Amino acid sequence: MKYDVIVIGGGHNGLTCAAYLARARKRVLVLERRHVLGGAAVTEEVFPGFRFSVCSYVVSLLRPEIIRDLDLPRHGMELLPLDGTFTPMPSGDYLWRVNDHEKTRREIARHSRLDAEAYDEYGRSMVEMGRFAKPILAMTPPDPTRLDPRALLELLGMGKRFRGMRPHDRINQVQLLTMSAVDFLDQWFETDVLKATMSASGIIGTFLGVRSPGTAYVLLHHYMGEIDGSFRSWGLSRGGTGAVSNAIGDAARRFGAEIRTNSPVAKILTKNGRATGVVLEDGDELHANAVVSSADPRLTFEHWLDPMELPADFRQGVRRYKFRGSSGKVNLALDGLPNFTCLPGAGPHLRGAISISPSVDYMERAYDDAKYGRFSRRPYIDIVIPSLTDTSLAPPGKHVMSCFVQYAPYELRREGTAREGREPHAGGAVAEWDLQREAFGDTVIDTIAQYAPNIRDLILHRQVVTPLDIERDFGLSEGNIFQGELTLEQLFFLRPVPGWAQYTTPIQQLYMCGSATHPGGGIMGAPGKNAAETILGR
Amino acid sequence: MNKTRYDAIVIGGGVNGLTCAAMLGKAGLRTLLVERRMDLGGCAAEHELAPGFRVPTLAHRTGPLRADVVEELQLARQHGLSFVSEPIRYTALAPDGRALPVSTDATRTADALRGWSEHDATAWPAFTHSLSRVAGVVGTLFTRTPPDLDHPGRQDLWTAMRTAGAFRALAREDQWRLLRWGPMAVADLVSEVFETELLRAAVATDGLLGAMLGPWSAGSGLQLLLHEANAGVGAAHGAEVDGGPPAVARALGRAAARHGVEVRTGAEVVQVLVTNERAVGVTLATGDTFESRAVVSAIDPKRTFGSLCEPEHLPPEFLWRIKHLRARGVLAKVNLALSALPVVPGTTKEMLASPLRIAPSLDYLEQAFDHVKYGEWSREPWIEFTLPSVRDPSLAPTGAHVLSAYVQWVPNEIGSRESGTGTRPAAELAVPPSASMQRATREPGAKPLDEVGLLRTVIDTLDRHAPGLRGQVVASQLITPAALERDWTLTGGHIFHGELSLDQAFTMRPLLGFGGYRTPIPGLYLCGSGTHPGTGLTGGSGANAARVVADALA
Repeated sequence: MKYDVIVIGGGHNGLTCAAYLARARKRVLVLERRHVLGGAAVTEEVFPGFRFSVCSYVVSLLRPEIIRDLDLPRHGMELLPLDGTFTPMPSGDYLWRVNDHEKTRREIARHSRLDAEAYDEYGRSMVEMGRFAKPILAMTPPDPTRLDPRALLELLGMGKRFRGMRPHDRINQVQLLTMSAVDFLDQWFETDVLKATMSASGIIGTFLGVRSPGTAYVLLHHYMGEIDGSFRSWGLSRGGTGAVSNAIGDAARRFGAEIRTNSPVAKILTKNGRATGVVLEDGDELHANAVVSSADPRLTFEHWLDPMELPADFRQGVRRYKFRGSSGKVNLALDGLPNFTCLPGAGPHLRGAISISPSVDYMERAYDDAKYGRFSRRPYIDIVIPSLTDTSLAPPGKHVMSCFVQYAPYELRREGTAREGREPHAGGAVAEWDLQREAFGDTVIDTIAQYAPNIRDLILHRQVVTPLDIERDFGLSEGNIFQGELTLEQLFFLRPVPGWAQYTTPIQQLYMCGSATHPGGGIMGAPGKNAAETILGR
Repeated sequence: MNKTRYDAIVIGGGVNGLTCAAMLGKAGLRTLLVERRMDLGGCAAEHELAPGFRVPTLAHRTGPLRADVVEELQLARQHGLSFVSEPIRYTALAPDGRALPVSTDATRTADALRGWSEHDATAWPAFTHSLSRVAGVVGTLFTRTPPDLDHPGRQDLWTAMRTAGAFRALAREDQWRLLRWGPMAVADLVSEVFETELLRAAVATDGLLGAMLGPWSAGSGLQLLLHEANAGVGAAHGAEVDGGPPAVARALGRAAARHGVEVRTGAEVVQVLVTNERAVGVTLATGDTFESRAVVSAIDPKRTFGSLCEPEHLPPEFLWRIKHLRARGVLAKVNLALSALPVVPGTTKEMLASPLRIAPSLDYLEQAFDHVKYGEWSREPWIEFTLPSVRDPSLAPTGAHVLSAYVQWVPNEIGSRESGTGTRPAAELAVPPSASMQRATREPGAKPLDEVGLLRTVIDTLDRHAPGLRGQVVASQLITPAALERDWTLTGGHIFHGELSLDQAFTMRPLLGFGGYRTPIPGLYLCGSGTHPGTGLTGGSGANAARVVADALA
């Protein structure tokens, strides 16, 4: 039997795309390689009784219209607040920012009165920036090299809105796109630990340092969340991030979509330049009028298609598209709660994010290691203990702790060997990760132990997820959690391939809907929704 | 109070100041140029390093000088400026003693590359071709005043259309290249095209000169485009000014004199006079004051507004933004007097007549950059050096030679302690809207620079590529970013008066809303490298500004 659309990949974007298509009465089939839905937004019982958000662990910016359109709360999605960020310092002091603005002001004033004042101005301008940037998320990027009136109008429209902003905000906007997170924050703040912690959000998932130009704009994501109220679009998901995927999946099913797990795709079928269906690894052929891939361009165009079917410049674009996974995860099953020397006890500071980012130089040195093919000797770590807010994740009295770690370069230098210049993408030293996995895990624990010495005694189980594991298990090339670096030359109308940022591909009836398309990564759903609208011709 | 009232007073006798003054003089305006140092030229100055040895004090290359400047001021026809063709642009020195000459003629470079990589030999002509085409579009903006976004005039629309036209004229793949390359890391850019590390590094350095960026820093691609765009609007392609930057300074000096510009050297301006919210003249350190209808500053924006103007004449937000302009100098200059011509394995005499680059790989460059982030310098710095005396033997005694070297990355211990705000305490710099803006952002870990150690490192590095050079050194001189700040009043020691990043370029140079050479103080203008296009010794900023000032005074 024949489908209208086959969606490859049951991650949150694939499912979102499928749900919107099914909602428009299309006959939709979703094919997921693994036994569970969710892709990188997945919850798994890694150790008996302990359920982890194995990869993606916070819900960033899930589009409110998607929550509405798909009625996700009704399908069991519930976002819990992730309140504040706690940064322990080697000095024995700490910085603890919470959603309560006044509290945070007082806390920052402890470090610098001036910064406390600047914090208000900063917040205000960032919200302004968010207002400008937000509509862009829902937009299908125009092609500036074509005289297509729609494209020109959209670009002019953006220009108009840009000119409409106050000069002050205009400058910030440009700076956000081009400056480094630290340079940008330097304009407001003097407290090193504050700048370090804030700038951390600018490097997540990129192969850039906090002082690298182009890292500033990611700071915006948080504030775009703020507009819809941090509670609704920024937080933890009850039951782990997998619950979000499942809710979207249920919504899709309710609209009539068919979803198959354990169905890895081997090939995309084409007939004279037109996608006609897929072949599964077990040899089954499935036919459809259109195929949508939520996987990244490398899988889609270099593995599932014969590259020769694609125009040369497009092939080159795909080859040049940068992944460069730079992060890993360490998931811990704990017998109790970590006790931080600088703020002892199981206080509310453990309910938010715990950020190991004591200073700007610390962050930058972590990056320097990675540039030359080593994982950071002292990495940046973003810790959450979701079992404190969601008891369903661990047995009573026990806890799950998720540690997002950067930097963990996909291309790891073989220990003791000198490294040549980095290629746009090579394989090479990759399997090295299998040898260094546990050393990486130990480094993470040692780093945390410097601030919470009791951590070692608490560990019941430990799961170390390297970029190589992310690539193997979750099909994210080079372990990049955003399906490709979020750098300026890979954003908006340049994502993923110049000239192909409209969710379409050189193969007719073959579309893309993953994080490798505009507006990119994070549990946002926008790529899936935008792609669906393109396919439905809206 | 000095009797004569000038139409314009130009502060600073560097290439841009001289260009601006000469053009104003030519426009029939009564112009005074004041220079703090005893001689003209600024970064194009030269001096005697040791008896009989003359060196280009700072810059050893022009930007190149812009064609319209040479033309309008008749520098070649009337003021003795001449060009010598430069078949070889630069030569990249490999650690194994081989040398890779990069010629103006693409096919010649391709031939040289065959010895290294067939792939790169084929890739080179195509790359240089589309690089110059792509950069050409950027170049169309160089001769123009950046548009005013709020009240675009006819000129601005014309500029926009002209550039849009140039963009449309590009092949589609080049259009995409332009959009991609600007924000890219130059290391990615060159790695996409070439496989030879030596070539990758050599090309990448064009995007790194004077920049607080490493090859892996996003945005370094833009600098490569700007650098290439200069060539597009430069005079005499494939040629360099005979005598280099100092010759440019001399010719501009003659042109200024010829157009009746009054020049005062050893005259340091300490204040721009403002009455009724208008710039009406300047006061010198001596206390003398000079009146004028317009004051044009070739000094960097931070110093112009931070120390020459009274804060109360400027909007607080403007001062705050100026204070936070990024201007962290990283380029140091080394001048050597040598007893003989250094022996550089693998090179020909022709290669020794143009720049030689020591940067074997992208990682070498990145590692050289890493240290400066922490206020340190690398034991293996990136060096570009020239031997000016090969072309002009008169610069050194018979048989002897002079060597001029750019060295990166070297921190400015002044700049790194107070990022970019220079020697003046930041508190004096601004009276900002909020307390948060009242102090400079402190950088940890600043320590005084070990100048002896750095000079030794540079000579050792040179000696590795020119065995025996160490023994040939008769006299040496190191000019650190700190010295550039102290003695040449370049805030932060930044040779371009501020980082050439996307957010500090074109309409945003020095600040969005002030990209048109005007300032918040009526009658006060900027014409230095801190304004568009502001890239190297081209005279571009001075020329563009002169047109704006002349119109305003007409």
